[in-house]
Amino acid sequence: MSQPFEGVKVVDLSGLAGAYATRLLAALGADVVKVEPPDGNPLRRMAPFIEGVPGSEASLWWAYLAMGSRSVVIDIDKDDDRAELEALLAQADVVVDDHGTGVLDGHGLGYERVSEVNPGVVWVSITPFGLRGPKRDWQSSNLVAWAASGVLYTVGFDDQPPVVPGGPAQMGMQAMALNAAVGAVLGLRGRRLIGRGQLVDLSLAEACLAFAPETGVPVFLDDQVHRVRSGNRRTLSRPFGIYPCSDGYVSILVLMPRHWEAMAQWVHEVCGNESIIDPVFADMTVRGQTMELVDSWVEELTTSMTLLEVFQEAQRRGIPITPVNTIETLRRDPHLEAVGFWEEVELPVGGSATIPGPPFRTNADWWQLGRAPRLGEHNADVLDH
Amino acid sequence: MVRLLDGVKVFELGIAIASPNAGRLLAHHGADVYKIESPTSPDIVRLIGSAWLHDNEELAPVVPDSSPYVSEMNADKKSVALDLKTPEGQRAARALLAQCDVFLANIGARALGDIGLDYASVTELNPDIVYVQLPGFGSDPAAPYFPYVAWGPNQAPLVGIDDLTGHAGREPAGIATVAPPDYLSSLHAAFCVLTGLEERERTGQGVHVDISQFETTVSLLLGPFAMDHALTGRAQSRIGNRSLWYAPEGVYPCQGEERWIAISVADDKQWAALLTVAPPEWGRDERFADGESRLANVEALDEVIAAWTLGFTNNDLATRLQGVGVAAHIVATNEDLLHDPHVMDSNWYQVRPNSRFRRDVFSGYGIHLSETPGAWERAGPSMGEHTVDVLTDVAGLEPDDVQGLVEGGTAFAMNRPDLQVNRPYEDWLHVLFPQEAADTRDLP
Repeated sequence: MSQPFEGVKVVDLSGLAGAYATRLLAALGADVVKVEPPDGNPLRRMAPFIEGVPGSEASLWWAYLAMGSRSVVIDIDKDDDRAELEALLAQADVVVDDHGTGVLDGHGLGYERVSEVNPGVVWVSITPFGLRGPKRDWQSSNLVAWAASGVLYTVGFDDQPPVVPGGPAQMGMQAMALNAAVGAVLGLRGRRLIGRGQLVDLSLAEACLAFAPETGVPVFLDDQVHRVRSGNRRTLSRPFGIYPCSDGYVSILVLMPRHWEAMAQWVHEVCGNESIIDPVFADMTVRGQTMELVDSWVEELTTSMTLLEVFQEAQRRGIPITPVNTIETLRRDPHLEAVGFWEEVELPVGGSATIPGPPFRTNADWWQLGRAPRLGEHNADVLDH
Repeated sequence: MVRLLDGVKVFELGIAIASPNAGRLLAHHGADVYKIESPTSPDIVRLIGSAWLHDNEELAPVVPDSSPYVSEMNADKKSVALDLKTPEGQRAARALLAQCDVFLANIGARALGDIGLDYASVTELNPDIVYVQLPGFGSDPAAPYFPYVAWGPNQAPLVGIDDLTGHAGREPAGIATVAPPDYLSSLHAAFCVLTGLEERERTGQGVHVDISQFETTVSLLLGPFAMDHALTGRAQSRIGNRSLWYAPEGVYPCQGEERWIAISVADDKQWAALLTVAPPEWGRDERFADGESRLANVEALDEVIAAWTLGFTNNDLATRLQGVGVAAHIVATNEDLLHDPHVMDSNWYQVRPNSRFRRDVFSGYGIHLSETPGAWERAGPSMGEHTVDVLTDVAGLEPDDVQGLVEGGTAFAMNRPDLQVNRPYEDWLHVLFPQEAADTRDLP
């Protein structure tokens, strides 16, 4: 069985903002060459690191996100190296570039120049704010992009500053890379249809703005409600949000009448609470008006049980309650275990580690992914011809 | 102008965000996306309606078309309203499905089986279909959580995002306002549909893609931390706005109530740039001399920065910092976005015709192709707006047959098309879009 992107040559000039895109393409058969500066791709400097391994090969971000690619080292400031890069780009089907507006153009290696010799190239450009507009030269980061999107303002408790969604997981950057993957496939389809490549203009700002409909302008125009941060529970009704249990937290979402009925019955059975089954609380508006009372009843139940107990019993009763998982609880989650989600991968310098499995499953064996390369591991293979 | 998905027909059974947000990308690039829905078992966006319509009995028929999310998630789609719980509704759906290239759904795997739209049944009808589904816990009935219920807001906690969100030492802040896993799954779905279509072009074969939101989001976001846990037992958790790799990075207070600025200084070059506008003593402070020392003294660093930023308005400071090359931005409110020259200049917010409100506003899309760009033609559809046309012209049913389905209550045409209303913002769209030109923003 062949893979969808077999024979597609991808040159990856990007760091974190494009890494997941080329990982996906590599997993589906593309030949991905990561072009690294002499001191390595920026991912190589991102902790956590593998203990006891030399600097450039120690990053787990690299070990995970660079899987399936090949690595060559090219010093863009050296003429010979630049010629090698030019030759690579001249044969590329897809280029993923996050150097920032105009940086590669300055080296004579931007889209304009490369597309003259390689008109079929699909050039995926990733910049902080896009190639056009008043902020096209502004700098960004995961945090800064969330700030610009309107989402950051609405996340957190009101006695503390707004706090970035997803924290160190760099969710905005990963969303950026996912957009790059979609952009690359659109570009390849375009090439099949019109016979030439094109420039795909993506921005971290818009990758985050795309998450904003629930806090964004069209909703605001309609109801003129300012979305503000209200902690980890919603004000609409209760119980709705994050609740403590004896060894962690659960996420409870009770809005539908049948869910409330089951929730109230459960609290009544376990805690002997007679008030909670009073029909007056069946009205979600009433539960919103009496949220402290309702929350205290629900917490009496949840804090008396473990996370797994609350989760499994709630689901048995048909109530939408899930764990607030940590890295640790995810790693021993029975469902992920049973479906064989976790896999073992070889590390660039030997040894192995457990990784999450593919993001989707197909009936056509699309997915196949080897380990991440060592710095310059494929110089000889790639640069000699 | 070629549109990339001209001629591609998509049968979408979508709810809320995860599937609809993928479908709208396909529609943006020219696909005919049929939103299969029903007033008897509606998409949540048809239920919530607009706040200003509540308790207005005269306008009650308008409610299913009125939520802003109808256009946000379904612009350029066609609404085909069918009761899929009835054999007649299923017959009409199957006639349409036989003509489609793509099947896209995020309703539960078990529910799909109940209405005869699981992969095996669909391929009997349409063997080379690109079938992409996004159930919360996958479509394998043998998997432990297969029957479990998890709504959008349960997903971020489930996949570990909420544990990573919040200040260190505090309970998880979570993300009560938006549902990131839905968007992340939708992008995977779009990627898989597009890949599946190209692959079908090459091999002549369709594909079944199963996107378990649980697995997808963990796979995307947690690889490095899961590996670290496996190797060392460390479990990364929330650290506020701080970076694991450099300092300073944070959200700092500015002049005014709830006015904040986000600043990131990733390396020595950017630190030097910051020093050109910051108090000179920062440059002489040994605690902040290099990247390592700034990380080690991040508490002290954040304190002096927060004291300094209070002397500025966030807009002024952001402009000043970007002027010297430091990554910074105001922490924008939804109202700030309306006044953001960059967002407005990019036409992020689109205004297009709508059958219920004349025109409607929705967010654009962030993938810009130079040669084959997408285009928006219409805002979201009213419930059932295209039922009759699509069943007749695309599914190939006889007009009498379609009429019978509508009269029999298994297919639904648009409710009261005569009832047209204006949204509250109608009178000030020109304020929203000051550069209003003679294009679609200035609709008759």
